[in-house]
Amino acid sequence: MIWQQLHSLIGSYPLALRGLGMTAVLSLISLALGTLIGFALGVLRAGDSRTLSGVIGAWVDLIRGTPFLVQIFLIFFILPELGVELDAFTAGIIGLTNLASCFICEIVVAGIRAVPTGQVEAALASGLSRWQRMRQVVLPQAMRVVLPPLVGQYVLLIKDSSVVSAIGLTDLTRVGWLVVQRVPNGLLVFALVGLAYFIVCYPLILLASRLEKRLGAAHAEVQL
Amino acid sequence: MIEFRGVNKWFGPLHVLKDITLSVEPREVVVVCGPSGSGKSTLIRCINGLETIKDGDLVVDGQHVSDRATNMTQLRTEIGFVFQQFNLYPHKTALENVTLAPIHVRKIPRAEAKSAGRELLAKVGLADKFDAYPAELSGGQQQRVAIARSLCMRPKIMLFDEPTSALDPEMISEVLDVMVAVAEESMTMMVVTHEMGFARKVAKRVVFIDAGAIVETGTPEEFFSHPRTERSRAFLSKILRH
Repeated sequence: MIWQQLHSLIGSYPLALRGLGMTAVLSLISLALGTLIGFALGVLRAGDSRTLSGVIGAWVDLIRGTPFLVQIFLIFFILPELGVELDAFTAGIIGLTNLASCFICEIVVAGIRAVPTGQVEAALASGLSRWQRMRQVVLPQAMRVVLPPLVGQYVLLIKDSSVVSAIGLTDLTRVGWLVVQRVPNGLLVFALVGLAYFIVCYPLILLASRLEKRLGAAHAEVQL
Repeated sequence: MIEFRGVNKWFGPLHVLKDITLSVEPREVVVVCGPSGSGKSTLIRCINGLETIKDGDLVVDGQHVSDRATNMTQLRTEIGFVFQQFNLYPHKTALENVTLAPIHVRKIPRAEAKSAGRELLAKVGLADKFDAYPAELSGGQQQRVAIARSLCMRPKIMLFDEPTSALDPEMISEVLDVMVAVAEESMTMMVVTHEMGFARKVAKRVVFIDAGAIVETGTPEEFFSHPRTERSRAFLSKILRH
């Protein structure tokens, strides 16, 4: 019987590939956008404007403090009620990008705050503008602190992308649901789904811990 | 060049600068000294706006520092500032530290800025350290890079905030020598330091501050040999003890 199941599983590979593709596309787009927006938000949040910083902080807390499943339902089911028509893919991208931006914003803020004030004062004293201070002095130093948790966050977000299967996007997780209806062996099917996620995420996990070690060592050399 | 007129500043309830009135002429070298916590660093940091003043007027190079209309970023390009902790950019080489502001703020062509930077680093005795990172340099070398970094902007004023206090004793003189050379090129300088040799050599005036107020002003000779107030005598006896 197991052979029969394996046989029909192999027959499902086009569907599996589609699912993997969907997960990859969703993750790539939302991580790229989320990184850009997250850095922008982080820079603004660490900036001088208290209002802006407060508004961003409140939004980030709200998103971090609610389940992603609930957020994605709100985007997909509630927004159309308010007249904003969204297909599932767009809703998924918006939800994931928003989630990524918020988590990355907090990582970037922590990185910026870890740069000693003397560095900012030196840049100020040389007459560098706000943007030049960020670009030339603060961000390059913040990156040491930001990079390892950033890559770690990518892993979490790739896994979180599985939630979009709940609004009908055919990603890896949903492929699991579809296949299990044909091949009634949940353990086998979802073990394979899990393995597929792991194969995507594991290199990133390795990268994160290597970055942590390397940047940690580099940091020790710099006396401040 | 620098004029404090009745300047006051508070940190919360702490009155750190009390009615400071002081004027520094162009090309004048003024040394500021006083016990720790007396407000001397705060005083010098007000000049380039690293600290804001609460009350009174501070005019630097003809511009009112506390006036909101003053473009502080612009004014700061005319003022070099050397920190106690050097504050070199750790991710940039000595030469990149020196040329960063000339390239990005003064918009000097890269090649030109680099050759000016090399010249200045050579002048402070670091001709062999252009490509060294701050972590590879000793404290004295780092501070000399920091001085070159400020000079590379061709400032009208140089401010030094305890430039030798974080250094090992054997490195102090190499930094002071560079500062003497800068002073001898008739730069307007204000230096917070307890280095009396330096003060005697180049300072026109010594300003003694205690508890946020100017207690005594005089030539180095007058101040070190014949201090007029009890507080300056007490202070001098402490720094002269060894």
